[in-house]
Amino acid sequence: MTEFEAAGARVYVLSYDEADAQADYKAAHNANFTMLSDPNSDVIRSFGILNTTIPEDDHPWYGIPYPGVYITDAEGVITAKFFENNFTVRPGPEQLLAAVRGEEVLLKERSGAGAEVAVEIELEGDSLPVGISREIVARFSVPEGKHLYNEPVPEGLVAAGIELDEQSDGVIAYTPVTPQTRSMTLSGDGHTLEVYEGDVVLRLPVAQNGRAMEKDDDGRWVSISGRVQWQACDSEACGLPGEQSFSFRVPAEFTVMADMGPGEGRVPSMNGATHFKKMTARRQTEV
Amino acid sequence: MQIQRDTRGVELGPNQYEDAEGYLAPLAAGSGPRSNPLGEFPTGPAIGERLPDVVTSDSDGRIVDLHHDRKSQPVVLIFTRSVVW
Repeated sequence: MTEFEAAGARVYVLSYDEADAQADYKAAHNANFTMLSDPNSDVIRSFGILNTTIPEDDHPWYGIPYPGVYITDAEGVITAKFFENNFTVRPGPEQLLAAVRGEEVLLKERSGAGAEVAVEIELEGDSLPVGISREIVARFSVPEGKHLYNEPVPEGLVAAGIELDEQSDGVIAYTPVTPQTRSMTLSGDGHTLEVYEGDVVLRLPVAQNGRAMEKDDDGRWVSISGRVQWQACDSEACGLPGEQSFSFRVPAEFTVMADMGPGEGRVPSMNGATHFKKMTARRQTEV
Repeated sequence: MQIQRDTRGVELGPNQYEDAEGYLAPLAAGSGPRSNPLGEFPTGPAIGERLPDVVTSDSDGRIVDLHHDRKSQPVVLIFTRSVVW
């Protein structure tokens, strides 16, 4: 949270729970963000993100949103969104912070035309709990006059991208986050392609489903490996495709869960079972 | 937009269900709290639009007008399913 404060951002968490359930949650977690209660799902509906795959009489589940996150700038204009189909996975704080700050475009010293593309790869975050996504970040420095390609590309060209190894079993890649592209029409065959120029940052959210964990005396671990590929071209010609492998091994923690019952990774009591009963009863009598 | 429910998955044993991405849960994919959309689903206002007004109660029962409360700061607004379950 202090990181969000330092970035000058306010954090709000909205759910369809009653205010007193949120108050217990805040106390149990020492949370200092603002929690917004939307027990009739009015805000959720006004955003158009009510989960309509749940029947109206399916209590207490009806009323939840498709979970997601909006980031705005100081004017209140949305600058980034995070939504995935599977609710089990949600963005980690590193991703949200990066979106709040906006990608800083560092104007580095560049050598003259003809210099090679440089790429740095890192995993943002120092652990990979089940269902919390972190991002593999590839930072390219593309020499002036050259560009990289976004998907799709015609046969023979390699688009810039991050791919996981197939044996990264239990690690799942989600929707890539890519910077803005520029359209460029090739002089030869008239193909129009989307290109990246300058300092290019590609991000691939990854999460693990609990199957990727290795256990040893020091705890649980998860390994993520893959490769970053690209091909740099200028208006005349293309260089050979480039590739750099990566491999990260980080602690795999249990995700913090609500306290509906006993189990590993459960948080201190917030009277979850009591709130659940109350919420179910209220929703049943409303119909 | 016709939104479908993702029911892909397998039953591994009593109260043990695996969804299409390999996550385990005591409920089958597509039932109750495990209702995920398959394919396209609405994600609300688009990037570049002003965040819609949010006026509702906070956890202390005070009414909060988000755009007023944020005091010209950027916002991270998280829609979560529930803090109870």
